[in-house]
Amino acid sequence: MSVDASLPALDGLLRASGKRTRAVFEASLNDRYGEDDIIARTRLAVKIRDEYAEAKDLPAALQAQQGGVGPARPKQPERKLITGPVADATSRAIATIAPPTERRESTLTSSSTLSKALALHKTQRVTQPTYHPQWKLTRVISGHLGWVRSVAVEPGNQWFATGAGDRVIKIWDLASGELKLSLTGHISSVRGLAVSPRHPYLFSCAEDKMVKCWDLEQNKVIRHYHGHLSGVYALALHPTLDVLVTAGRDSSARVWDMRTRAQIHVLSGHTATVADVKCQDSDPQVITGSMDSTVRLWDLAAGKTMVTLTHHKKSVRALAIHPTEYSFASGSAGGNNIKKWKCPEGTFVFNFSGHNAIVNTMSVNAEGVLFSGGDNGSLWFWDYDTGTAFQNMSDIPQPGSLEAEAGVFCSTFDMTGTRLITGCADKTIKVYAEQAK
Amino acid sequence: MAALAAALPAPVHASVRDADDDDEVPLQLAPKRVIPPYGQRRAWKPTAPEDFGDGGAYPECHVAQYPIDMGRKKTASGNTLALQVDAEGNVRYDAIAQQGHGKNRIIQSQFKDLVPLHKRTDISDDQRDMERPSEDEVQATADRTRAALEKLTNAKIKAAQPKNVPDSRGNSTFIRYTPGQQGDGGSLKQRIIKMTDVIEDPLEPPRFKHKKIPRGPPSPPPPVLRSPPRKATAQEQKEWMIPPCISNWKNNKGFTIPLDKRLAADGRGLQDVHINDNFAKFSEALFIADRHAREEVRQRALMQQKIAQKEKATKEENLRMLAQRAREERAGIAPSAPARPTAAEGKANMAGALGGYGSGSDDSGSEAADSAEDDDAVKVREEMRQEKRREREREMRMSNMGTEQRAKMLARQQNRDISEKIALGLAKPTMSKESMLDARLFNQESLQSSFGDEENYNLYDRPLFHGSSAAAAIYKARGAQGNEDGFGGGTEEGISRALDNDRFGLGVAKHRFEGAADQEVREGPVQFEKDTGDVFGVDEFLNEAKRGTKRGLDERDGGAARKKQQLDRASERDE
Repeated sequence: MSVDASLPALDGLLRASGKRTRAVFEASLNDRYGEDDIIARTRLAVKIRDEYAEAKDLPAALQAQQGGVGPARPKQPERKLITGPVADATSRAIATIAPPTERRESTLTSSSTLSKALALHKTQRVTQPTYHPQWKLTRVISGHLGWVRSVAVEPGNQWFATGAGDRVIKIWDLASGELKLSLTGHISSVRGLAVSPRHPYLFSCAEDKMVKCWDLEQNKVIRHYHGHLSGVYALALHPTLDVLVTAGRDSSARVWDMRTRAQIHVLSGHTATVADVKCQDSDPQVITGSMDSTVRLWDLAAGKTMVTLTHHKKSVRALAIHPTEYSFASGSAGGNNIKKWKCPEGTFVFNFSGHNAIVNTMSVNAEGVLFSGGDNGSLWFWDYDTGTAFQNMSDIPQPGSLEAEAGVFCSTFDMTGTRLITGCADKTIKVYAEQAK
Repeated sequence: MAALAAALPAPVHASVRDADDDDEVPLQLAPKRVIPPYGQRRAWKPTAPEDFGDGGAYPECHVAQYPIDMGRKKTASGNTLALQVDAEGNVRYDAIAQQGHGKNRIIQSQFKDLVPLHKRTDISDDQRDMERPSEDEVQATADRTRAALEKLTNAKIKAAQPKNVPDSRGNSTFIRYTPGQQGDGGSLKQRIIKMTDVIEDPLEPPRFKHKKIPRGPPSPPPPVLRSPPRKATAQEQKEWMIPPCISNWKNNKGFTIPLDKRLAADGRGLQDVHINDNFAKFSEALFIADRHAREEVRQRALMQQKIAQKEKATKEENLRMLAQRAREERAGIAPSAPARPTAAEGKANMAGALGGYGSGSDDSGSEAADSAEDDDAVKVREEMRQEKRREREREMRMSNMGTEQRAKMLARQQNRDISEKIALGLAKPTMSKESMLDARLFNQESLQSSFGDEENYNLYDRPLFHGSSAAAAIYKARGAQGNEDGFGGGTEEGISRALDNDRFGLGVAKHRFEGAADQEVREGPVQFEKDTGDVFGVDEFLNEAKRGTKRGLDERDGGAARKKQQLDRASERDE
């Protein structure tokens, strides 16, 4: 230590010698460096020209296709591929009222080649996911004696109905979670429920091939829609027409006239059980997902398939239509199993990747939260616009049930979109709520 | 000109063509077919109908020719598709997927349909946004759909409603009919015919069977845009392996299941046994108490054994003494006092032993007096000698005995014969014979005797509880007298209480049935006797049948008499 302290500091020495060196060799150094620079530049230019002359310009076809992508692009304001849902309700209303975009021609007729589709992967339009608060389990309601297979919320948001494997439909108060009513009449597990927003009716379908219409003023069955050849697995009401669509194990979806009970259409074309059906007010008005791992979009007026989507690898068990965006999502089993589709022509939008389970149910709310519930009890919450998961958790089976009884069969958001009601394999109904920010 | 065109910039707008611009003839004219003149048709193949003009085939061209399509096979309507190309000249291979579908059907068949929307280049940005249609559009869609559906529904409803209800009156039409052949002399020139529909029963089952029309060919399958399913790996297969269900009761296929697997399967070892601490303590205490008790019992038994041994020893001693005395008595020696025999014997022995040597120590002075004593002594000696000899003989016999006899002898010595024991009063016969037998063996209804032959109709061939005391136990004859329980135990208050309870006066019959007093009081249950009398006369009937007499036979006389009477009566009337 003492020796080190006696030595002079190195920094000063170095600086001094460096200065001196520069002073001595200043003139000659400059010259030589300059020469080197020129030589190197020429050499590089020659080499570039030699090797990349052919690849300097894009091929004519590509260039034509690309247009002003290169230099002109930064001037334009960046346009997002998918715009997130507008925050406040008034602007949303304006958006929906706004004049529609003209109908696009289908992708098939547009001229395109594989190379073009591949060429411009770089120019990805990346959108930031919007923030969503976390969801938390707030209530567990047990009362059913079987798997809770279907759930529906009343349009007034006062109560919700659940149907279960114990063949009973139960009506619960949404705020307090108290049982209001039990409806019996089905003789097999109730698979689908819907409450009509324009009638005092509750519709239910079950594995006993029956579709029933309950009058909620008398709590009685007033109509049966007879015609399914096997169990009925899903049910949907048309939002604007008095039409009911049911689908089931006979690999068909049937369109019923609500009042006269007449079967208007048999939407046949699936080759396996139709697991889910959804309706919306504009084309495609009926969407079905089937165990033959296809999704079909139907032209309701003609009763024909508009598009068949064959992207899924396993059976499609869940569908969800976004309330405000003109798109829907479909879910099946395995990896890359939730896919988002753009609506009128069923263009593939993207995958929600990560939920490695059999997706039994999906629901979307207006804020752009997509929920997917798996057969193994995994619950995923996604940002619907970007396809990023912002939360995942697992269903906790109620004490006394087996480990294997963690599973989600059905789900729905309430009318406000702040609560999520799920029906589980442990015979309970679980209510999740958004955490306050 | 061309150089100038290259130098100029490209026009911004396409030039507008005037409608009356006639000088621009359509450039794209189909090249006119030129038929080479005769003699130059060597390499020419006439294919199109125009090649033939109006004429026939060219004999100098050696190819198949079909002038005005004569003889051409009509394969145009086959299932081959014409090759189609798109605007860029690329072959549309997905035309086959579109084939058979309507115009507005969208078929996703290309790679671009697999590309996520934001990565696609063939779509403009305004095609990317997913705006819901406006209300007007929704309304238009709804109206259009409603119209289409209503049309269908109305048709369906109409079909469901009963139609063709037959008119009960029957719509009749009248037709004037003039026969063409007026053959038979004009008797009927014209007729008026009334035509009426046959009234059908609306509830009549359909006369013709509905045949199911076979389903048409399905719509062509959509192109599959997913990769084919991968084969399950060995690992996956293992994960999905579900072992076959094996019953504990049936094994139809004859699987061999190791015992340990069986035990594992029935879940016996899955629950570990948890024993309460107290149980362990309790069993420990029980064990200790048991050991203690056993020890005590053993001690007691030992003590008793010892006492018994002692007693036996004394008894044996006694017996030996008795036997000794008896022997001595037989030998003529006066029985000495029971306390002295050993001393007397010893003295005798002594004397004998001394006498054998002719001792000279005798007192000579008392010779005369001693002579009598000598005689006695001689006798004694003689006796002793004999005894000794007998003993020696016995010893010798025993030494000469065979082994088995000696064994028997030894056994006899050790364990005396039972008769001997009885004689000695050691063994006593057991007190009673009944106590030896198990009481439970008595009064058992043996199964074999009570269940007779199958054909015997004697269910009650013997009374229940026959010969046992069970009947007495279960049945207590309740006579009017001596039944104390029936009347409140005989005390006054008991009786009054009983009377209070007996509201209907059923306790005591005031008036008995007639003749009931004559009956003797029953001691046991009511017993029924087998009625041997022939109530229904079956036996009699059978006997008759066996005898072979006909029923009418014994009435023969009566019948004859009746006949005779009738005859008589008839004759009377005739008269």
